[in-house]
Amino acid sequence: MKFFIPFRKKSPWILHYNAGSCNGCDIEILAALGPKFDLERFGVINTGNPKQSDIFLVTGPVTYRSRERLVELYSQIPEPKVVIAVGSCTTTGGVFRGMYNVEDGIDRYIPVDVYVPGCASTPQLIIDAIVKALDILEAKSKEIEKPFKLFGAIETIGNKLSRLNMAKKVELHEKN
Amino acid sequence: MIWVWIALAPILGGLVYGGERVLRARMQRRLGPPFLQPFYDMFKLLDKRTLIVHAPHALLAVAHFFALWFSVAAIFLGWNLLYIVFLHLIAQMLLILAGYSVRSAYSHLGANRELLMLVAYEPILILVAVGLYLVSGSFEITGMIQKGNYLAQLPLLFAALLMIVPIKVKKSPFDVGEAHQEIVGGVEIEYSGVFYEFLYMSRFLEYLFIYSFVFIFGGESVWLGAVLVAGVFLLVNLVDNATARVRTPQMIKIIYMAAMPLAVLNLVWILL
Ligand code: SF4
Repeated sequence: MKFFIPFRKKSPWILHYNAGSCNGCDIEILAALGPKFDLERFGVINTGNPKQSDIFLVTGPVTYRSRERLVELYSQIPEPKVVIAVGSCTTTGGVFRGMYNVEDGIDRYIPVDVYVPGCASTPQLIIDAIVKALDILEAKSKEIEKPFKLFGAIETIGNKLSRLNMAKKVELHEKN
Repeated sequence: MIWVWIALAPILGGLVYGGERVLRARMQRRLGPPFLQPFYDMFKLLDKRTLIVHAPHALLAVAHFFALWFSVAAIFLGWNLLYIVFLHLIAQMLLILAGYSVRSAYSHLGANRELLMLVAYEPILILVAVGLYLVSGSFEITGMIQKGNYLAQLPLLFAALLMIVPIKVKKSPFDVGEAHQEIVGGVEIEYSGVFYEFLYMSRFLEYLFIYSFVFIFGGESVWLGAVLVAGVFLLVNLVDNATARVRTPQMIKIIYMAAMPLAVLNLVWILL
């Protein structure tokens, strides 16, 4: 409904996920949330729960181990949602580019709305990115957004979804 | 007139919650969110796509909210205090059932903690009701607030109540139930959109519920009640900003070793 759309901008709740980063950008995100930069003045809460979040803050170049979690978390965030890739290694692979155990950036797996440069990116840049993301969030519709790749096809036992079998498939995928 | 207040209870609680977030931010020397932030959150949650695990799970959140609203309404109407404590117990049971009804491990953990919190604060709430009865001679709230001077006769009981307020409003050092990101919200974890909103609003009602217990200690003087509520509100937030979280068994130990003897001692003193 039109009435509710302005409120998206006023209460963005964020989910922060570390997809194998060096922790530099995570600390900057925490600095942005802390008293000095005070992201909460925009109504931001760091929920840590995908089902109640609007903004997905990802750091890190996506190690093989974290791919499934990344896609899973992304698909659990209800629409409307935006994704922010924080740091050089999240956008392009950065210092990790070409390494044997990482993918180069998260946009191979999920659609990204805002890229933040810097290794590590500063809290000011992260705040700018969130403000930018709010405009995108406001313009978005409630269309279902899908990740580019899904791991392991849907597995069922009887007619129920089997997470275990799906997870086993991912492990197989990782070994090969 | 009273029905208007009852209908507005969640909004009233929302204002308290918004004020509290600003207050806590100011205590940490930052700007903090706008005063009306809880309502912005509510409107945003209404518009989010809702994911449901299964229907009873979602409905239990709604039932929890309305049961809690009913107990707050009973307080506003000045009903029997003991009755209100048990009404509130029903509301909590619904929430705990909701926590156990899904397969998420965090949800179970949250429900366990919620249950242990209930074990910690419920006896104190009942002792508070009994203490107030012993002094005023009535379990009805309307009767209670016609007598004065509870504070002079029940100082230790008030201290015990003071210790369980942080459990109820989920503040440090007793915030194990929600625990920020440690258990990702506990029982709230599987809720989203509209159904999460009911849990979010029931948090507002919890504020009204527990602070009205503090208010009753003011007795016939409304001003004393208001001063008490404001003082406890400030104190709880100060303690919240200054302390770390204790573990659940420690919390129960602290309540049973410190708050419970205080309350019982006070009752014995009244009876002798
Ligand atoms: S961008 Fe640099 S500082 Fe940030 S997580 Fe990647 S490697 Fe670490």
